[in-house]
Amino acid sequence: MSTDRVLAITERIIRQILRDRRSIGLLIVGPLIVMSLVGFSLYDQRAILDRVAPGLLAVFVLFFTFILTGVGFLRERAQGTLERLQTTLVGSFDIMLGYMLGFLIFAIVQTVVILAFTIFALRIEYAGSLWEIGVVLLLVVTVAVSLGIFISSFANNEFQVVQFIPIVLAPQIFLSGVIIPVEQMPDLFEWLSVVLPLTYAVDALREIMLRGTDLTVLWGNLVALTLFSIALLAAAVATLRR
Amino acid sequence: MQSPSVVEVNDLSFSYGANQVLNGLSLSVMEGEIFGVLGANGSGKTTLMRMMVGLLNRDGGTLAVYGESPSPRQAGRVGYMPQLNALYQELSVRENVDFFARMYGMSDRRTRAREVEDSIDLVGLMPRIDDQVLNLSGGMRQRVSLAIALVHRPSLLLLDEPTVGLDPDLRFIFWGHFRRMADSGTTIMISSHTMDDAAHCDRLAFLRDGRVIALDTPDALRGATGRSDASLEDAFIHFLRMSDD
Repeated sequence: MSTDRVLAITERIIRQILRDRRSIGLLIVGPLIVMSLVGFSLYDQRAILDRVAPGLLAVFVLFFTFILTGVGFLRERAQGTLERLQTTLVGSFDIMLGYMLGFLIFAIVQTVVILAFTIFALRIEYAGSLWEIGVVLLLVVTVAVSLGIFISSFANNEFQVVQFIPIVLAPQIFLSGVIIPVEQMPDLFEWLSVVLPLTYAVDALREIMLRGTDLTVLWGNLVALTLFSIALLAAAVATLRR
Repeated sequence: MQSPSVVEVNDLSFSYGANQVLNGLSLSVMEGEIFGVLGANGSGKTTLMRMMVGLLNRDGGTLAVYGESPSPRQAGRVGYMPQLNALYQELSVRENVDFFARMYGMSDRRTRAREVEDSIDLVGLMPRIDDQVLNLSGGMRQRVSLAIALVHRPSLLLLDEPTVGLDPDLRFIFWGHFRRMADSGTTIMISSHTMDDAAHCDRLAFLRDGRVIALDTPDALRGATGRSDASLEDAFIHFLRMSDD
């Protein structure tokens, strides 16, 4: 592994996204619009709002990181830059890590914006600390980047990446407890939620933000997310082989 | 004294599924020469180039670059310019070249900044150094791509159709660069399908259906036609007909 090469990839990702104003708008304005809609429509039903808000945080980070990585990586493949990278000294792991760090920075910015909005505009109180939320979201970013790279190898254009949303992301949003608690779902769906990474992220964020649960108590969630990350990382690296 | 060979290819074969692209191809490239690989579209030129940088694995035969099978370890002394420009459109000329310089292991910021500017200067893009690639013409993008291949001062340069789409003036400038680099010891292997490029090479291999049908200096290839006024195009057609028999 080379730190300089990883950082070079991270810097490049950040530059590319910063120069794409529409993506920046999507990253910041998109979540705020959805949070406003959810927040103000449920403003008088604090219990539902409290439960939904942490889940949406994980959904936004997963969604935008997946889309940006998927499309970004598809472009790397289509415009030949990935192949060109593979003729240099950079390794697949460096590429993955560079991508993750780049998107992690945007995920953190997104998180801070969403948190600030939920606390100051929607008046949702949260108990945990920001760094603990950051750790969980770091793992969500890892999952999303790996998933985006993996899925991009099955798509030939941006349109096809978007078509993976109903297959890959929608089930997670519906079955991971963001909207309906996992315990209230039919047995089959409850069982399915066990194999979805978002389930563990939503649960952990809810525990941290609503109950102030310490991260050490949530080690099971962290281990599950780490295992998903490793498995998806291996699958993504396999698609990067020369 | 004969220069040592930098590239050795023997009986190389490769297929994409049922499509046999390279079919017993053999050639060697000597240190410091400009070696041209000439052939029609689909004759196997790009496949050969991609195998030389380790992007494709051979089905049979041997392929050695500096005595070893192509691998990422050799990237430090091999520069590769793919047929597709392969640039980051949102980044500037400088940022593109600098990024790939870091990928080639040039971690010292000050040295890298100088080398990046040198390679951009070499391809004549200093006036546009901070322009986004998005705003450059096709020929300028070709030059950025060449600057990337040169930035780490490789001793072997693999150029896959570098002059496609260039106007005659720019083609002349490119060939001026290549000749100066070869004169200073860089080995250059270049693929092309135009005879205009072929005339600039020290030696040429004519390819057809994934194998070499003739390999020699341009003069010797012209001479083989038996006509004193033969062009390289005449020579190419002559060898194509011979390979039909």
